Amino acid sequence: MSNQTTQDASQQERLSRARAALKDVEARIGATREAWERPALPLAADLSPLLPEGLRRGQVVVVDGATSLMLALAAEASREGSWTAAIGMPSVGVVAAARRGIELSRLALIPHPGAQAADAVGACVDGMDVVLLGPSLVLSDADRRRVASRARERGGVVIAAGDWPAAHVRLEVERQSWSGLGAGDGRLRERELTVAVTGRRAGAVRRVRVLLDADPGMRWTRPGARVDVDEEVA
Amino acid sequence: MSETAPARGAPVATTRRAVLWVPDWPVVAAMAEAGLKPDAPAAVLHGRGMLAVSAAARAAGVRRGMRRRLAQRACPEIAILSHDEGRDARAFEAVAAAAEDVVSGVEISRPGLLMIPADGAARFHGSEEALAEALVTAVAELAGCECAVGMADGLLAAVLAARSSTLVPVGQSADYLADAPVDVLPLAAMERRQREQVEDLVGVLTRLGLTTLSQFTALPAGDVLARFGPVGMWAHRTGRGEDVRPPVLRRSEEDIAVSYGFEEPAQRVEQLALVAAHVAGLLDAALLDAGVRCGRVRITATTERGDVLERVWRTDVGSRAGAFARHMTDRVRWQLEGWLSGTSTGPERAPLTSLGLTAEDVVPLGSEQAYLWGGVSGADSRAQRTLERVQGLLGADAVLAVREQGGRSPRDRVLALPWGQEADPARRIEHPWPGRIPDPAPATVLPVPEPLEVLDAGGAPVMVDRRLGMSAPPTWVRRRAEPDDERAAAVRRHPSSGRVGRQDGPAWGLPRPVEAWAGPWPVVERWWSEDASRRACLQLALREPDGSPGPALLAAFTGGGWVLEAVYD
Repeated sequence: MSNQTTQDASQQERLSRARAALKDVEARIGATREAWERPALPLAADLSPLLPEGLRRGQVVVVDGATSLMLALAAEASREGSWTAAIGMPSVGVVAAARRGIELSRLALIPHPGAQAADAVGACVDGMDVVLLGPSLVLSDADRRRVASRARERGGVVIAAGDWPAAHVRLEVERQSWSGLGAGDGRLRERELTVAVTGRRAGAVRRVRVLLDADPGMRWTRPGARVDVDEEVA
Repeated sequence: MSETAPARGAPVATTRRAVLWVPDWPVVAAMAEAGLKPDAPAAVLHGRGMLAVSAAARAAGVRRGMRRRLAQRACPEIAILSHDEGRDARAFEAVAAAAEDVVSGVEISRPGLLMIPADGAARFHGSEEALAEALVTAVAELAGCECAVGMADGLLAAVLAARSSTLVPVGQSADYLADAPVDVLPLAAMERRQREQVEDLVGVLTRLGLTTLSQFTALPAGDVLARFGPVGMWAHRTGRGEDVRPPVLRRSEEDIAVSYGFEEPAQRVEQLALVAAHVAGLLDAALLDAGVRCGRVRITATTERGDVLERVWRTDVGSRAGAFARHMTDRVRWQLEGWLSGTSTGPERAPLTSLGLTAEDVVPLGSEQAYLWGGVSGADSRAQRTLERVQGLLGADAVLAVREQGGRSPRDRVLALPWGQEADPARRIEHPWPGRIPDPAPATVLPVPEPLEVLDAGGAPVMVDRRLGMSAPPTWVRRRAEPDDERAAAVRRHPSSGRVGRQDGPAWGLPRPVEAWAGPWPVVERWWSEDASRRACLQLALREPDGSPGPALLAAFTGGGWVLEAVYD
């Protein structure tokens, strides 16, 4: 018993010594709150099951398989005043971005950065809050590490399509099912995504279902049945 | 709600104002542009009816709203001119400038109608008669057109007074309005949509038996609001002689232009960049001398052949200190480099003879328009600087700003311009665009459509005939294989593919089954022009090879084959 209390006391002492040393270092270097510790960027409510902590600053989020999910992740932050750059995405649908809520006056497209992709991405991570990266950018692994640490330093968020080793969160679209189409009739209305979320911090894979395009024209009338409510076709 | 209307003559808040009215302004402006004499019979056609008619044509019996055929029957030698709102507004600037010669500030209510607060100006000129005379003389001498001036309290009374060139004495405007018919209400509506609403209201009032303004304004205000809504309330207040808003005066600032003429035509970019720096410095100095700042800069370069290369750039209002000249130099260099290297469109390449910069949207220093809540934020200027840096790195055309514009296909609905450059959208977004591909919009829009194979159950291509009949329901879809897809290339080389020898056509990927589809939707656009297109669009939801539902595509049948327009991914 007494043996354990002395052990506890020595542990306490070591902890306080470690804290004092850390404080000393902070005082010497002048470390304050890191940029990535600032409040997370806002995220639309129906996407919060994907990233329960919100769009944390300094993160690299990889989205595999759905451009619209990338746009949806960036949308709420853009509406709240963040700037967005889309690099290496020559075929991004601008109307879709606007409908998802991205403010077009604060969106810049750099469709073909070519061999200077690393410089362009670095500059954008410095100056913009949300940077969307296309799948076929010429970035080496060293460039990617540099971009990630830059984002961490500046408090920006990188949302990348395709592959990114050592990403914080990886959202992989496993299945997407559209409803609204028939055999020659109807139109695309609603889409449900099944997304596999893996993170550096999270242990097991989580699978989340997200309704990405909810159509107010489709309503539940009785349990188990969906019918189309008459509406003006846009 | 049942507040009773104030008795007639009760004091209402008004401004004494003079209205300067040029009769039939659209036709006057069009005739000036067409070089017709003022006494020639002419009319401006808008839609199906005449919008404005010149005095000579009116004497011959042509009226507003008449069809072209009827007008030509009434007056065979009539010149029918096209309608152009931009021209009307541009040409009216001359009249406004002439009026500003006499008074210090005017409000252009609409092309053809100017509003001037009369109190101070009348005191300055001695009397209201003197002011009216000075205005009419100045407009006739400087702008070369006849106008009428009227003065009264309140908007509607002043507009009416101008139509009969009357000066209504102070305090008698309510009586002046009382006996006027309700038909005069639309005259005080300055925008076209508002005018249409007021015209509808006037129709209803006439059918209800309310023919004069006094009958209408005797109704309780609350009941008018309940029955006719905001338009009715506006008409009620206007009809009582009230002012709905005070005049908004503009202070005109002239555009500031500087230019440089090359002694010998110049062609090399380095040479031009030096001149650009010089000219930008001149413009900066000119702006500083005038104590103003500008919102846009127009860069104009004239070539030896007489072609003009012109672009408008937005300038960063927030960061002026010394950086202006350097920014402008960059923009001139980008514009000329892109043109000389042939990457951006423009007239044929030729040596330049002159280079000019014009500062537009000129405002006095310190009165720039800021955001509603505070100035330009730090993040905004940081992002602007970043984008300018990337533009310097990759070239001006590499960073795009996007806007929505009107159109039917997802590709047409985007206007992409180099960051910082300004241009008007080619298609108005407010127009209805029937046949537009319905929402949700696709997240991937291919910049250039890619060939696609849409096959029926037997593997034959699906065709769409002129009457939108499909040869068979689509069952399979094949996209192009990726160029580095070894498997597709091997399949193609295999003898069982039915090809012998070397083939140069595209390699197709594996066919994927269609889960559901909708269409075909016809889109026939611009048949009158060169970029005409005739397509039938199809939305297709695919199934993954393992049987689970997959992404959706937007395909179009055009020119006998299918193309992939967009992917809903």
